[in-house]
Amino acid sequence: MKDWPKNEWMDQWQALSRQYWNAFSDLTREAGNGAGRDAAAMPWHEGFEQWARMFGGPGKQSETVERVLASAKSFTAFAQSMIAAATAGNAGAAPNWAEVLRNGFKMPGADASLFSNPVAQALREISGQGVKSFEEMMQGLAPALDPAREAKSWLNVPAFGFLREHQEHYQKMAVALIEYQEQTRRYNALILKSSQRGFELFESKLAAREEPGRQIDSLRALYDLWVDAAEEAYAETALSPEFREVYGELVNAQMRVRSQIQQEVERIATDFGMPTRSELDSIGQRLHDLRREVRNGAGGQSSSLAREVESLRREVAALKAALKERTPAPAPKAAAAAPKPVKRKRSRPVAKERAQPVAALRADVKESVSAPVGAPPSREPKAAPPPRPRVTKGRAPVRAQRALPSPRAKKSVAKVAHSPTRVGHPVLSFAERMKAFARSAHKSHSTARRGGR
Amino acid sequence: MEPVKIEPTRALDEALKMQKKLAAGLKTLRELDDVGYGATDKEAIYREDKLVVYRFKGARKPTAKVPILIVYALVNRPYMVDLQSDRSLVGNLLAQGEDVYLIDWGYPDRADRWLTLDDYINGYIDRSVDAVARHTGLDRINLLGICQGGAFSLCYTSLHPDKVKNLITMVTPVDFHTPDNMLSHWMRGVDTDLFVDTLGNVPADLMNWCYLTLKPVRLNQQKYIGLVDILDDKGELENFLRMEKWIFDSPDQAGEAFRQFIKDFYQGNKLVKGGLRIGEGEVDLGNITMPVLNIFAEQDHLVPPSASRVLADHVGTKDYTQLAFKGGHIGIYVSGRAQREVPPAIHNWLAQRAG
Repeated sequence: MKDWPKNEWMDQWQALSRQYWNAFSDLTREAGNGAGRDAAAMPWHEGFEQWARMFGGPGKQSETVERVLASAKSFTAFAQSMIAAATAGNAGAAPNWAEVLRNGFKMPGADASLFSNPVAQALREISGQGVKSFEEMMQGLAPALDPAREAKSWLNVPAFGFLREHQEHYQKMAVALIEYQEQTRRYNALILKSSQRGFELFESKLAAREEPGRQIDSLRALYDLWVDAAEEAYAETALSPEFREVYGELVNAQMRVRSQIQQEVERIATDFGMPTRSELDSIGQRLHDLRREVRNGAGGQSSSLAREVESLRREVAALKAALKERTPAPAPKAAAAAPKPVKRKRSRPVAKERAQPVAALRADVKESVSAPVGAPPSREPKAAPPPRPRVTKGRAPVRAQRALPSPRAKKSVAKVAHSPTRVGHPVLSFAERMKAFARSAHKSHSTARRGGR
Repeated sequence: MEPVKIEPTRALDEALKMQKKLAAGLKTLRELDDVGYGATDKEAIYREDKLVVYRFKGARKPTAKVPILIVYALVNRPYMVDLQSDRSLVGNLLAQGEDVYLIDWGYPDRADRWLTLDDYINGYIDRSVDAVARHTGLDRINLLGICQGGAFSLCYTSLHPDKVKNLITMVTPVDFHTPDNMLSHWMRGVDTDLFVDTLGNVPADLMNWCYLTLKPVRLNQQKYIGLVDILDDKGELENFLRMEKWIFDSPDQAGEAFRQFIKDFYQGNKLVKGGLRIGEGEVDLGNITMPVLNIFAEQDHLVPPSASRVLADHVGTKDYTQLAFKGGHIGIYVSGRAQREVPPAIHNWLAQRAG
């Protein structure tokens, strides 16, 4: 390695920088943009702003382009600081690599709060299509949080008046927001701690490379070593009990804020007569439960029944076959004397079981149909008459068993449909309701007039 | 001796080379069309809601008599097992003579918010197994569970042992409380009920962010620096983009199933501690008495090997085989080594138990 005198390293460094920028300008011209600049002192990663302008924006792979550019920018800033340190080192002063690294992340134009905090920076950079952090999710809620911010000022004021509930709600939202901010602060403190620990580990990893043959001779190798150190430090922090507690609290705090906002949105939706998420969820849940019931009835039970029946069939067939093998062939005489098979009545348990609800339903319908208009409904459904065993095929005998309704009570289906008395629900006709309303209005009017005297 | 011996001119050269590659590559990158995936021809043999069971068609008829049904995780899309022709677990299994089926869960939406693990395991998986059994005319089939799908397969096999001939699990978490399991460590402080009640279905984008934050610098910065090296190689670039597409193409998670999975598996660790109920039945890994092949990745940051390895201590089978793959959670499907090692290992193991 060539050693330069101390007073020459700056010149050397500036020459290198100029060389870099000249080459970069050539590249940008080649890529179709002639906006190259020539300045030895310019930060190298600034060039990526030009790349971003040239290659960023909408495009088929724009997300990947942006991610590559962001990473290349960080790497170039890292590279520039390392080359500067290496050049200075050649002038005789051994650089403090961890300090150099720390300064390398102080990119002009970057968020100053992330200086010396590369892990936080890396976390911040995880964004784009297909990724959304808790922080971004929170940013999406920003407009809804204004009332909560205002509510902070009257957190301790007791709520009263007709807006009491709203005030209490905003107070709760403000408390949740303050809690979330506190948890975010705790989380960020841990990430900063992790970055600092990363620098320490980087130093110790570098120290292990002092042996001849293990020295680092390329920027990429140095960068990879730093990544190893940063990830190791991050894992130490992320697997600590403190991080688990803080991470959980951060997530829970944000969920509380979101929950409060959702409640507010529901309140507003209700006021405007809009369907709310709770209502949709409720319908969704009912529908899902119903589908499960149907599916379990149709698919689950019957398929297991079908399997059982199939297995029984196989068993019966096997038994029959075994029986056939054992039984000797009957003599013709004995066969003639064989008793006739006993005729057995077919039991119809299924029909019996079905008869009950059908009979109950018929009785229920009959009762509603036969109830006189305006009469109070019977709250207790009449017990269904016990089903009688069918003695003959066909439906006529069953019909014959039914008690015929009296001619006066019998109504046509059309009349039932338009009747104000529905099954189980007494509803007065419109005319009767108007009459009742007129009576009551007249009565109250008279009372008021009397009271007014 | 100084630990860093970087020649400034060489360093400058390195930085400039990177710039040159970027200049040439970014233009190419923007002009590339969307990359396709799914190399192997397939036919749907069963559909239900958003779920589809596919049968893959190989170049020749399968020689294996018992088919394999792949049960993938809910958290990613299953085309990872058939990403491209030269990186396909499915393709290589077919080439070995296996008959391969796969459950594609689809993308759950708000209508699927109430799906439970019972619906997934005793419902969807069971009916998919029945569909494959019907399609092949068999009573029992081979199950290959991957990651979360592996945990589901363990539950399913425990509850329906009569329907599974051989069980293969890949990168499957079993013990969720090993000290190196970062995801589990984080989830144990989260109020799951509040989380699901608030979010409903869990957004895939948030899940992706969580995965990337397991190694934030490596997965979000170093990986893209590495990409610069291959920017001038169109084939490699397409491979990268295909993988990138898979990483960010994730389904939302049905709220109720997520709730139970986090509470019972991540927080309660009930798969090994006991007390895990799926619907009416209790999961007992001791019921798994058929042959089991457990494959895990030694550098897996999502499912640490320690979380997988313990399966040996909990299953009831006497025929248990374990295979440690030198690679990571994704590399076990797409790396060159995986293509050479994993499908033949599965095929040979099954062939030995074909009788």
